[in-house]
Amino acid sequence: NEELWVQSVLEMPKRRDILAIVLIVLPWTLLITVWHQSTIAPLLAVHKDDGGDSRRDLAAGLDSKEYCLSDRDIVEVVRTEYVYTRPPPWSDTLPTIHVITPTYSRPVQKAELTRLANTLLHVPNLHWILVEDSQRRTALITRLLRDTGLNYTHLNVETPRNYKLRGDMRDPRIPRGTMQRNLALRWLRETFNKNNSQPGIVYFADDDNTYSLELFEEMRSTRKVSVWPVAFVGGLRYESPRVNAAGKVYGWKTVFDPHRPFAIDMAGFAVNLRLILQRSQAYFKLRGVKGGYQESSLLRELVTLNDLEPKAANCTKILVWHTRTEKPVLVNEGKKGFTDPNVEI
Amino acid sequence: PPQPPEAALPTIYAITPTYSRPVQKAELTRLANTFRQVARLHWILVEDAAARSELVRRFVAAAGLPCTHLHVPTPRRYKRPGLPRATEQRNAGLAWLRQRHQHLPPPQPGVLFFADDDNTYSLELFQEMRTTRKVSVWPVGLVGGRRYERPVVENGKVVGWYTGWRADRPFAIDMAGFAVSLQVILSHPKAVFKRRGSQPGMQESDFLKQITTVEELEPKANNCTKVLVWHTRTEKVNLANEPKYRLDTVNIEV
Repeated sequence: NEELWVQSVLEMPKRRDILAIVLIVLPWTLLITVWHQSTIAPLLAVHKDDGGDSRRDLAAGLDSKEYCLSDRDIVEVVRTEYVYTRPPPWSDTLPTIHVITPTYSRPVQKAELTRLANTLLHVPNLHWILVEDSQRRTALITRLLRDTGLNYTHLNVETPRNYKLRGDMRDPRIPRGTMQRNLALRWLRETFNKNNSQPGIVYFADDDNTYSLELFEEMRSTRKVSVWPVAFVGGLRYESPRVNAAGKVYGWKTVFDPHRPFAIDMAGFAVNLRLILQRSQAYFKLRGVKGGYQESSLLRELVTLNDLEPKAANCTKILVWHTRTEKPVLVNEGKKGFTDPNVEI
Repeated sequence: PPQPPEAALPTIYAITPTYSRPVQKAELTRLANTFRQVARLHWILVEDAAARSELVRRFVAAAGLPCTHLHVPTPRRYKRPGLPRATEQRNAGLAWLRQRHQHLPPPQPGVLFFADDDNTYSLELFQEMRTTRKVSVWPVGLVGGRRYERPVVENGKVVGWYTGWRADRPFAIDMAGFAVSLQVILSHPKAVFKRRGSQPGMQESDFLKQITTVEELEPKANNCTKVLVWHTRTEKVNLANEPKYRLDTVNIEV
């Protein structure tokens, strides 16, 4: 009995060891299997000529035997017919999208405009109207616009400062970006003739929002004013127009003041250029505008609720996000500034 | 300058850890819009998740660029403030690359870098990193409590670090400030981001120590005097008005 007992004691740790090893190895084998499976992406079905193209993607030096062996390991390298010229060639048939972006100098400005430009560079027939809140057009923006290769117009107008407070505080009664957007509207009216201008769409794009490429294609078919949902506004995941079965906008799905004439964010609508030119006195109201009523102050001069065209699958898809960028921590610059001010950020 | 024909271009691998939060899809969208402008870029997206999420799966399927979708969850004990984040995810990206090239002869040249999903990348940065022979470095904007941090360069060699935090680190550089050639990653199969024995803020330094020396570093961006990448961070969104009850009748993804 004692012998048996000793034998089983000796055996037990061995069984436990085996169990331990199995428990350690099993998740890894599962994980690796799953990783392998992930490499056979569903993209295979979407693009034509995958087999040939992925072979071309691998180094020309490999012989075919290696291709066969590694086929299961190789992730599908999707061969998109992407032409890396920026921006896309101008088309005679597409309406031009005039994107109006007010901008102001602060540490993240160049970063914001860079990533916005990276998006805009995908969009055919896009005209970027960048309006600086400044006394003069700055070198930073001049260089940035030139380097992007985009079709652009560079304007500037300075929001008056409120000298009653500290000298460099802007007048708080004028919402940020208003004068800049209005200047762009005026530029459009002075540049284009309402009788024989090329078709165009006007869109107000703040420099810190995020735009999907699909959004620009949705707005291109705007006849008067089109609308769609916007994420991260009004304290919600998204705000959206209410659309009835007939495809007409009849209200606004918001928590914050849904009874505004147009309870919509700046990023949630686009206007046909013809309408801008026809209603040549329609501008954003400069002063005395309640919070959240900026957009209404322009839209009520242009269109009624009934005329609104819902986009983004009858306003059920999110194609634009009202992201905001954190103010960067620059505490280590100190009072006098530590880094070289000539190095542009 | 005329670009070499596409087949000859080294592939750029961008390893991006990502995690679920309201702005995730927005961040990935604008990052993809940048990456799609870059020739021969392969995106390695690693979710901090126990399983692939529907949102990212659908996003990857429509992203329009070569993309590998991985996932590995961060163990709960490492999810404390002050502890380094995305370690497991970056290591998963490295493991995938090593696994993929295991059976092939010396691969086509490639460069990999770690692209967090909220940073901002200029297109010029990719041109600069593509010529990396071993490990290249450049300035990063809006990090270390200052407008930028950068390696200090003399006669084409890195001789020090212009940084807001612990300049005594062997490599006082942010995750967004360097790229490594695929060859170096494959020839150092044990080089990973460490948890054990790694202090916060030492992630980059501890990693680079395993694969290179300061003398070997290749300075880019005009001898590290131009900022081509910014360590931007996105504000947490205000969802104060989301209802607790009486939710919407449709389920719309943001």
